[in-house]
Amino acid sequence: MPKWLRGYLLMVKWSFLSYRPWLSLNFAVQIGIAIGMIYGLSFFFPAITPDVAKYLTTGAPTLVLLVAGFVIGPQIIASARLEGTFEYIWSLPVGRLSHLAADATVMFASTLPGIVLPVVLGAFHFDFNLDISLLVIPAAVLIAMSGSFLGYSIAFLVPKPMMVMVITQIFSFAVMLFSPVMFPVERLPQWLQSIHQVLPIQYMADLTRGTITDLDVNLGLAFAVVAAWCVIGLFITLIVVNRRQ
Amino acid sequence: MLLEINNITKVYKKKIRANDNISLSIAEGEVFGLLGPNGAGKTTLVNQIIGLTKPTSGSITLDGVDVIANPGYAREHCSFQAQTQVPISGLSTLQAIELVGRIRGGKKAEVRQRAMDLIDKLDMGEWQKMMGVTISGGVRRLVAFCMAAVTPGKIVILDEPTNDIDPLRRRILWEEVQELARHGSAVLLVTHNVLEAERVVDRLAIIDQGQVKGMGTPARLKEDEGGAMHLELTLEPNQTEPDLPDYLQNPVTVNRRIIARVDPADITKAIEWARGLKESDIIEEFKLGPATLEDIYVRLVQNPDEVEQPGEVT
Repeated sequence: MPKWLRGYLLMVKWSFLSYRPWLSLNFAVQIGIAIGMIYGLSFFFPAITPDVAKYLTTGAPTLVLLVAGFVIGPQIIASARLEGTFEYIWSLPVGRLSHLAADATVMFASTLPGIVLPVVLGAFHFDFNLDISLLVIPAAVLIAMSGSFLGYSIAFLVPKPMMVMVITQIFSFAVMLFSPVMFPVERLPQWLQSIHQVLPIQYMADLTRGTITDLDVNLGLAFAVVAAWCVIGLFITLIVVNRRQ
Repeated sequence: MLLEINNITKVYKKKIRANDNISLSIAEGEVFGLLGPNGAGKTTLVNQIIGLTKPTSGSITLDGVDVIANPGYAREHCSFQAQTQVPISGLSTLQAIELVGRIRGGKKAEVRQRAMDLIDKLDMGEWQKMMGVTISGGVRRLVAFCMAAVTPGKIVILDEPTNDIDPLRRRILWEEVQELARHGSAVLLVTHNVLEAERVVDRLAIIDQGQVKGMGTPARLKEDEGGAMHLELTLEPNQTEPDLPDYLQNPVTVNRRIIARVDPADITKAIEWARGLKESDIIEEFKLGPATLEDIYVRLVQNPDEVEQPGEVT
């Protein structure tokens, strides 16, 4: 087995064991949120149509992945920075990227209930059809990877770990209310639409919708833009984690 | 020499000079102590050896390999116990030790055997299956030591390994440190616990304010004192410090204790003076003995507040 793969797998085990105390709680919370979200939509929109419900519920997986990558991931890193965790972890003979990739793998796996359940429950409750393509796997991995790398960049670039906490809180607010994940981009003001033409968020939502529904989405463009952001995130992450004081 | 550190200087932002032209070398099978007060630059030096921090100038080679250019080589061959607690909250004691042993390249069965040996020797069986989040700080440090010792590298770096550990297990831990050296690893021991270090190290460097103030074997450093003696006075409670005669050199007061260096020619005068204080009930007791490593440490280090009390358990 190649050394990097051995290191990566052992670090996956390390991350899994480290997060184990809250994984079951996390699963339970995600299941609760998924159920609450689907049934809660009926209260928000009593006359919701299956098409609108499809749009809303298929935005949920993207939202979960974005929150995991941009909010929870950086917050975990910020608290690890405060506790001096990296002083130890980075003294181990495992590449720093392997360690972060292992962490992201566990994080991604832990979000699976939050990705799958809202869609399945939504389709059942609002009676709409799913059209799941095999491309959903690379799409989800790509969203998770770009979210994680961009999240890591924020977590390591911001000098003060406490600032990371604040920035991620602002970010989660911006994603929830001002990003075209749960609603079409046309509803935003023109200037915000222009910004979102460059940012990866709406393309991430397109990737999810385009691979699990029959909604008309430019998947090629979505893959290209998210992949480009993934490479940018990877590049920045490589620089920031390998720099020495 | 296995590890060669030459003229290492590290200047952080705001011009903080953490290391100032430090040079030292460590051989295979040697226990080398790095002694100094908090903030002396010990951890900075260690972080440069394992590639966490980059020196401003100077060179570090391990086995002839430039580890500043190849930090991965250093991490491959240095096992490290950090000063901070290890991040093992969700792992059991045994899992943490085994996992690091395997990450460091050990084979599964051998790592299990070695982990169990260490747990037995350090009498840690009762915590073996407990998760890191539930064990005390002292036990965590024992686990951290085992994580560094389970698959030891060419160099084993231990940063304050005995903090928070009870006296009995400390003793066993020091035996294990020497065992690591007997098996060929070089051990770099970072501590401010002078008394314990004296019993364990083959050679040591005393650093303060980023500079090496003295280096050699404990015996050689004591020889350099030129036969000077060590006078220690313990004040009676609530007594103020008396005026000290000029022949008491480098006097240091720590709580009720006054320590000073006495030249051989002044010993008789010093005893007479101390007896007088005892008879006047100014001091509780006095001791005169050969200079200890602690005396040398105190003399070399400008800020003596960090010196641990004899027998003190931290």
